[in-house]
Formats: sequence, structure tokens, C-alpha cells
Amino acid sequence: MHPTRTKQERRELQERQRAAKAAKTAANGVNGKPQGGKPASQPAAAGGAPSRKAGRVSDAASKLPPAGLAKAVEKAKAGQSSAADQSAKNQARGLLIFSHFGLPKPVSSAKGDIHPVIARTALQFSAFKITGANARCIATLTAFKTVIQDYVTPPNNTLSRHLMTYLSPQISHLVAARPMSVTMGNAIRQLKLDISGSDIDLPEQDAKDALCRKIDTYIRERIIIADQVIQETAGNKIKDGDVILTYARSSVVEKVLLEAHASGRNFSVIVVDSRPMLEGKRLLAVLSDAGIHCTYVLLPALGSVISEVSTVLVGAHSIHTNGAVYSRAGTALVAMMAKRHSVPVVVCCETYKFSETVQLDSFTKNELAPLGDLFSSFPNTKPRESLTLENKPNLEILNPLYDLTPPTCITAVVTEVGVIPPNSISSIPVALGRLL
Amino acid sequence: MGPELHTIHGHRAVETLAAKLRRRQVVGSREAALETVLVLRQVVSRARFSNIQQLIAIIREVGRRLAEAQPKEHTVGNTVRRVLHNIREEANSATKAPSATTSRNVYTISKFVLQGQPRKQTASVPKSEAIATLREDDPDDPDSFARGLKPVLMEAIQDVLDELETVYENVSKNAKDHIHSDEIILTIGHSKTVEAFLKSAAHYRNYTVIVAETGPSYSGHDMARSLSNAGISTFLVPDSSIFAIMSRVNKVILGAHAILANGGLVAVAGSLLAATAAQAHSTPVVVCAGQFKLTPLWNLYHDYGALDFADPSSVLGFEEGKLVERVDVVNPYYDYVGPELVDVFITNDGDHPPSSVYRLIKETYDDDDHEL
Repeated sequence: MHPTRTKQERRELQERQRAAKAAKTAANGVNGKPQGGKPASQPAAAGGAPSRKAGRVSDAASKLPPAGLAKAVEKAKAGQSSAADQSAKNQARGLLIFSHFGLPKPVSSAKGDIHPVIARTALQFSAFKITGANARCIATLTAFKTVIQDYVTPPNNTLSRHLMTYLSPQISHLVAARPMSVTMGNAIRQLKLDISGSDIDLPEQDAKDALCRKIDTYIRERIIIADQVIQETAGNKIKDGDVILTYARSSVVEKVLLEAHASGRNFSVIVVDSRPMLEGKRLLAVLSDAGIHCTYVLLPALGSVISEVSTVLVGAHSIHTNGAVYSRAGTALVAMMAKRHSVPVVVCCETYKFSETVQLDSFTKNELAPLGDLFSSFPNTKPRESLTLENKPNLEILNPLYDLTPPTCITAVVTEVGVIPPNSISSIPVALGRLL
Repeated sequence: MGPELHTIHGHRAVETLAAKLRRRQVVGSREAALETVLVLRQVVSRARFSNIQQLIAIIREVGRRLAEAQPKEHTVGNTVRRVLHNIREEANSATKAPSATTSRNVYTISKFVLQGQPRKQTASVPKSEAIATLREDDPDDPDSFARGLKPVLMEAIQDVLDELETVYENVSKNAKDHIHSDEIILTIGHSKTVEAFLKSAAHYRNYTVIVAETGPSYSGHDMARSLSNAGISTFLVPDSSIFAIMSRVNKVILGAHAILANGGLVAVAGSLLAATAAQAHSTPVVVCAGQFKLTPLWNLYHDYGALDFADPSSVLGFEEGKLVERVDVVNPYYDYVGPELVDVFITNDGDHPPSSVYRLIKETYDDDDHEL
């Protein structure tokens, strides 16, 4: 008796059962589920399982050429299952390409000891009450200050070693609410460095106070003061009579525009906005309250207004070493159209948003907004029945929140260490003296 | 000057259609074209004329009236021009010498240049050679010309009507050759021509469609629902992610509101974004449109108002309160997409690159009719 053959037959039987079960769940998953998460993962599994099985069948066939009986058996099985997994594969194919996007998961009940401040911050993140790279980072760091103050070092342990393990589940809870932003990541990395470098001899309260002071310094230097420097530098680029175009809502660009207006320059602003978040309306309210003349358009109208624009000012979520800017979905379109019409695109970005990675397209890392009308982004004039707000069979709704603007579309990046052309972004760590 | 409108028989039908167009009660280019043809058929059937120039003047007057009612609906004027072209052709073949028709086989540069104006030329052919039984301006029987010609004219108009009714089938004829298996197609908004095209291809191929809901009309939602009900796996995305997903898209298929004489097109707002993003990624852009959308007009796009602005309250509604009075809102309904962004036009009359649109226009319409 051939030992490999019996193992083969056992494996084939297992695969057949698994494929049958996967095909059954795929048929259920694609047809009836309203949530976006399940159909993507289940057909992905169904698509994976039959293809794996098909691969293994062909492998087995090639491995045992003289075993004619085994080959005939495998061929029959392949023929049987191919009909079933073909339909599953067809349904799965379309949904597979985007299945790696992290679909939003509901924030589950806290596992382990989650500090109430962290729980509240996580809820605010997942409900999109706090949005924007700077706002999220500041909220995270402020929450951590409270956590650190409430922390008590367990006996036989030191603060510098144990605090980080204590903070890890809190961080995971925040990440489960919404994927971590680059700003949060950089800030937490800095915090870890500070914690591990804190003096062992200090009494606990002093050590905690020192950490909180370091956090405050980080916020003040890397965000608040950086923003002030950027306000001045970018503000100098705005001249009287300019028409500035901005997209969605960047906290930095808002500050730049308010500062330029306060210093007496006379300019007008075009705010371009788009679903899913329709954040531009908030910026519009702030700017028009300050007395700046604004025009508001949705993204498809961009082609009609771009010819009148003198500068495009946008913010960023993060910038990468190759000069690509990862920002709110739609920024890439604005930058591309501006470049086509020879309008300079200026990105206002603090250095703590710099990420060492290189990102090539918007798929490597992205986030999907939850389905439904979370942001009340549909006009009231549109009857709700004519809208598709949830997934249906054969129809999936995707709302990516970010996209990547290639460095060719960007003219300059304004940071607190200077105005940098996009292909020199990798020199930011050098400019900061490797403080990153 | 041309005849007064109220003297044209059937003018009531013209007035009704003009009113409907003005109030935008006729929705869709194809519907506008169909209604125009029906009105023209009524006018021609009741018209009294003793030579072809009178009939042409009547039709041009009707066309001018309808085009003025809704200047942004170019298919009205296009249909009138098409009917005029067909009528002239039929009338001339009924009244002129047969020898003139055989010379059409020789395709020379001079023939092509004069193609827009063959009627004036052949009118000089002496009538004595003609075997035609029709005589213009017959003093004894002024209606004989009209009576004899009308059946032929009705046929010509029926041709135009048939072409309009079969637009979707003819555009989708070769759909399966344009779409391959496992392709990812991007489309924007809701175009019935593109919808028919995609559904026809779905019978033969398995592929995925990504529909960009274009704001603020969000017509993409209807398109996505209709396509998914037909069994095509569909994704619905907001316009902001067009650039993000473009790297995965194999082809962009757009619909058109009107195709301009330079090969550019007027399409629903957002099409310019999709076409530009496609060019940045070297993705082919395909436009599906019926031939009745070919407009022999140039420089429509320089006119700011050519974009046909829609209601701003769907962008910034009154629920925003104080913002409404302090903020300007621009809500164009259409985009102009230049010919350099389009790769091919798929029409019911075959596939054409944008560089040969001028030739199509020469062949479809007469030069005289460019200005109605």
C-alpha cells in the first residue's frame, strides 16, 4: 500500500468537504447579507479554498503520473467540484480585489483593562466625531496623559519597563476603533522612547509628571508651533487678489487662510468638497464667519472652476519618503487637475507626519468609511429611495477615505523646517537632526 | 424670410413640443430626438410646397423654434439637420439625372470637399435628361410636386426614426469585442447607452463594473442598481476615489450628452475627472453615444453657460442657514472633455476615433444646416 496515496486520498476528501462547505457559505454570504464585511470575507474564503484545491489537484496529478487510478479519481473529483467552485469563484472574483481593505469593524466590548478615557476616545474615533490626523493625535496623547497619571506601578516592577506593556492593550483598543494614523504612530513611538528612557531613580509621581511634560512638549513643538511656522510661510504665498482652492478640511490650511486674512490680505477661497465625509462644509462655515469670500463646489464641478484658481492649498495625512502625499480621498484628483492647468499645488504638512515607508498607490493602505449616511452627506432634495445605501446582491459600496497623490502632481511641501520640493522629502529626518 | 410659424400646418404640435422642451419636461437626449422626429413627420405630412426649397425653409423654421426652446438640448437641432439631409438626398435623387448617382462611386478629393454641398451643384444638371416625373413649380398643379414626393420623404423620415429607435441595440452590437473577461470597467453617472452596452456584454463575459456616483445628482446609484440587477458585479464609489481606484481600472466607459465637431464631448459632470485620471494612468477612455448626438457646432465649450447649471440647493441647501447667503455655489451639470482625452467613440454607426468626427459630420449633415 502506497503511504502517500492514502494520505493523498485523505487530503482530497478533506478538501472536498471543505470546498463544499465553503461553496455553501458563499452562496449564503453573497445573497443575503446587508453588511459589507461578511460578503467580502466569505467569498474571499470560498474563492481561496477552491483555487487552493484546484492547485493541489493538479499538483497531485503531476506528482503521481504512473498511478493511473489515482489520476482518474482526481480528475473525476476536479470535474465535480469545478462546477460548484466556478460559480463561487465568479461571485468571489469581483469582490476579491478590494477584500484587503480594512472594512470597519464595530468596536467590541473592551477586552481587559481599558481605561475609560481610552474607551471614550475610541468611541469618538469610530463615530467620526474626531477626525483629522492632528486632531486624532492630540486626542490620543491627551488620553494617554490621563492614563499615565492614573497608572500605578505594580510591586517588583519599574515604570520604565512596565508602563509600555500596560499601554499596549489601550493602543490596540484605539486601533480597533479606527486604523492608526501615521501621526498617532509617530507620537506613540516617541512616547515609547521617552518611557524607556525615564530615570529609574525618580519617585513614581515625578516620573509620571516628567512623561506628561514630555507629551505636552511634543504636542506644542511638533504640532502647535509647527502650525504657526507653516501659517507664516504658506501665508506669504498668498497675495492680494488670489483665488485659493482647497479640498475638504485640513486644520493647517484653515489656520493658514485665517491668518492670511487677519493680516489684511484680500483673497477669495474656493472650497471643493466631496462625499463620503463632506468635511468642507465645516471649513466653509469657519471661513465665511471670518469674512473671507468663499465659493463652494462639489468635486465634479472642479473642471469648471480650476481655470480661475491661482494656488491650490491642501493638507496631508502623511507624507512618504518618495514625496507622495497620503491625504483625504479626492486630493489626488484636485492635484492632478491643477497640474494640468499649471496651477501650483502646495501641501501644508508638519514634519511629524513624515513616514519612513514608500507608498506606491492608494491600495497599499487605506480605510473604508462605514456604509450608510453617517455624515448626512446626501442632499435633502434627493429622495432617499433613489439612493443605494447598503450592499445588495452583486452590488458593493466602497467609500475609501484616503488616496495617494503622486509626487509629480505636487509643486511644494511647506513644513516647519522649510519649503521642500517633493523629491527631497526624504531629507526631512536630516533637517530635524534625526529627531524623528 | 422663411414662412411664419403659424402658417405652417401642424404648428400646434411644434408649439407643444417647444413648451415641453422649455419646461424641461422631455428628459433625455434620445426622447428629445424621438419627439422632434415625430413632430417633423407631422409637419412634413401636412406641408404644402411646390418646390423643395419651400419645404426646407419650413423645416428650418420649425427646427429654429425648437432649438431656441432648449438650446442646451443639441439633439433637437441634430435631428432636424439629419432630416433635412435625408430629405434633400431623396428629393434630389427623385428629380435629377441618374448619371449623377453613378459618379458617386469615384471618391476624389474634390468630391469629398463638395460633399457638404452637392445639392447646389447637381441642381444645374439640365432637367431634360431627367426621367423624373416630378416637376417643381408646376403652374397647373402646384401640389403635384408635393404629392409625388411625400411618400419618399416619409420614408426618409422613417429611416431617421428607425435609427433612433434601434440606437441601443446597434451601439451594443459589438460590446463583447470591447470588453474582455475579468476586466474592471469604470463608468460615471447614469447613461442609458452605456447601460445597454454593459448589459449586452454581460451576456458573454464576466467582468466587474465600478460606478462613480456623480454628485450632486448621484445618478450613479440608479446605474449601479440597474447593473447589479442584471447580474453584473458592481461597486459603487464616491467621486473622490476615482484617482485612487484608477490604477486597477482597465477601461473607462463614458456616456455623452453631445459630441462636438472637434471630437470633444459634453458629458455629465465628473467625466472630465475620470478622463483625466485615466490619461494619467494610460487607461483607454471609450465613449458610447448614438450618432444623433453628433453636433456640427464648434467652440460650445468656451461659453461658460454651455455647462447648463443646475439647482445649487442640492449642493448647499437652505438647511445650512447663514451660509447660503454668504457663499457662492457653482453646480454645473455638464463637463467639457477635450478630444485628446478620448480614445474611441462607439456609435450605432461603428467605432470612430475623435480625429475623424469631422468627417462623420460632413457625411451626416449638410453644410448649409449648421446654422438653422
